[in-house]
Amino acid sequence: MVNKLIKEDTKMFLTGNEVLAYAANAAEAEFMYGYPITPQNEIMHTWCKLLPKTGAGFLQTEDEISAGFSTLGGILAGKRAFTATAGPGNVIMQDAMSMAEMMRIPFVCAVMQRGGPSTATVIYAQQETRLTCYGGNGEGFRIVYSTAGHQDLFDYMIKAFNTAWTYRFPTYVLADGYQGKMREPVNMYDPASRGITMVPTEASLLPDGEIGKDRKSMHWRNTYNMEEELMEVLDEYKVDFEALEDKIAEYEEYKADDAEILVIAHGIVARSARTAIDELREKGIKAGLFRPITLRPLARKPLKEAVNRAKQILFTESADGQMAQMILEAIYGCTTPYSTLYKMGVGVTGGDIVAKVEAMAKQPATV
Amino acid sequence: MVRTKIAIAGEGGQGVQSIAKILVEAGYEAGKHVMYIPNFGVEQRGGVSIAFCQISDEPIGEPRYSKADIVIMLSDRALDRCETYVDENTTIVYDTSVCTRAPECSGKRVIGVDANKIANEDLSARVFNIIILGVLLEATKVLDIDDVKNAMELALGKKFNAKPELRELNYKALEVGMQLIKEKAGV
Repeated sequence: MVNKLIKEDTKMFLTGNEVLAYAANAAEAEFMYGYPITPQNEIMHTWCKLLPKTGAGFLQTEDEISAGFSTLGGILAGKRAFTATAGPGNVIMQDAMSMAEMMRIPFVCAVMQRGGPSTATVIYAQQETRLTCYGGNGEGFRIVYSTAGHQDLFDYMIKAFNTAWTYRFPTYVLADGYQGKMREPVNMYDPASRGITMVPTEASLLPDGEIGKDRKSMHWRNTYNMEEELMEVLDEYKVDFEALEDKIAEYEEYKADDAEILVIAHGIVARSARTAIDELREKGIKAGLFRPITLRPLARKPLKEAVNRAKQILFTESADGQMAQMILEAIYGCTTPYSTLYKMGVGVTGGDIVAKVEAMAKQPATV
Repeated sequence: MVRTKIAIAGEGGQGVQSIAKILVEAGYEAGKHVMYIPNFGVEQRGGVSIAFCQISDEPIGEPRYSKADIVIMLSDRALDRCETYVDENTTIVYDTSVCTRAPECSGKRVIGVDANKIANEDLSARVFNIIILGVLLEATKVLDIDDVKNAMELALGKKFNAKPELRELNYKALEVGMQLIKEKAGV
C-alpha cells in the first residue's frame, strides 16, 4: 500500500504531467514503468520525485516495448501499475496494449500526443487518436478518455484506474503535449472525499490459497490453437465491450440545445471551441459544442441526437480527420451536412473556429 | 482588461521560458486565471523558443490563441516566427541589440529596447531575461511588481539566499526593464 499525498482538497498550479503523477498516487497506483519520451517525461520525473514520500515503485525500462510488457507483468503480479508514453513510444507499445486486450489486463496508460508521423515534433498533436483507440492487431477493445485540461487530467486519471480494474479492458487517458507541458491551476482531492471508492487491486497470477481447496486453478491465455476458439473468446469480449457504452460513455455539450452550427471536437480543441462559441453567440451566430469525452466507446445516442438537431456540423481537430472518421461511422444515416477544420499537429485556436463558423454561416456546407 | 495574451519568443537559452514561468506564477499568486504553454523544438539551445501566456480575470478557454495582445521578439528568427501572432491590436517589443532588423509587421505600436546591450554593459548577461520581464510588466500593467518579486523568490529563492547580491541584481534588472518602457512611452 502506498502513502497518499493528497489527503485534503488542495489547489495547486502545476503542469499537466505533474498533475497526472499526483492523480495516479491519489488513485493508489503502486508502480510506474516507463521509458522517456517528450512530452510525457515529467510524469515519470514527478512520480520519481515523490517516491520517498509515497513509497511507490518505478522502473525505467530499455524501451517502450519493455515498458508496456513490464506494466502488464506488474499488474498480473498484483500491483496497481501504469505507464505513460507519446508519439513513437505509443506506436511501439501497441504490442503490449494488444496483449492487454487479449488477456483482459487492467492496463492504464496516459498518452501525451505529439506531432507525427514518426519523430515529427515533440510539441503537440491529436494524431494518436486513431492509434490509441484502435492500434495493435486487434479490434480496439479499449476505453479512451480524451481530456481537456488539468482538472480533467486529475479526475479521469483516477477514473481510468477504476474503469480498468472494473471492466478489465486497457484504459487510456488521452491528452497531448499542450496539456502535459502547460501550467494552470488544478483542484486535487482524495477520491474518498468525492464518494469515489477505489476498486481493489487483485493478483492475477499466484493469488493466495491452495488450488482446488481455496481457489480454482487459473489459465491466462494469450494463444489459441483453433480459429473458432479465438472467435468464441472475442465474441464474448465484444458483448462485454458493447455493454460498456450505456455504463461509461461520457460526453459534454455546450450551448448545443439550440445550436444551428454544431462544433464537434475532442480534448483540448473542445476547449478552444468553447471560447469560439461564446464569441460567435455574441455575434448572433447560434453555435454549440458536442465533445465526446470517451472516444471508445462513443456516446452514440446523444451524439446522433445533437447532430440531427443541428443544421450544420463542423469537425475540428489537430489531425486530418481521425476523430471525424470515428464519429461519421457512429452517426451513419444522419444527413446533416458538415465541414471540416483540420490542422495536422497544430493547435486549433478559438479564432480559427470563429473564422470557419462565420464562413459556414455565410456559405453553408453541402457535404 | 479581461484577458491579456502574451507571447514571448527568442532563441533557446535566452531565458524565455524562465520569465514566462515567473510571470504566470505571479499571476496565479495574485489570484488571476493563468495559462502558460511552452513551445520549443528538440534543442537545448539554438531553436526558436516561444512561451504562450495568458492572464485573465475570468476562466480561460483556448490554451493557444491566434493573435496576442503583446509579442516580445528577442531574435531575428523570433521576428519571422511571430508575425503570425500580430494584428492591429498587438503591441510588439523587440530587442534592437539582438535583432539585426526591425519587425516587418505593424501592430498597435512597435517598441525597440536594447535590453541585451544594457545587460552586458551595465548589469550581467544573466539578467537579460529579467530586464525583458520588467519591460513586459510595465507594458502590460496586468500585474504588480510585488507579485513578480514574490514569484522570483519562489523560482530563485535558493540562489538568492546563497548569494544575496543576486537578488539585488535581479530587482535592479526588473526596474531597468520597467524604466525602458516608461521612457519609450514618454517619447
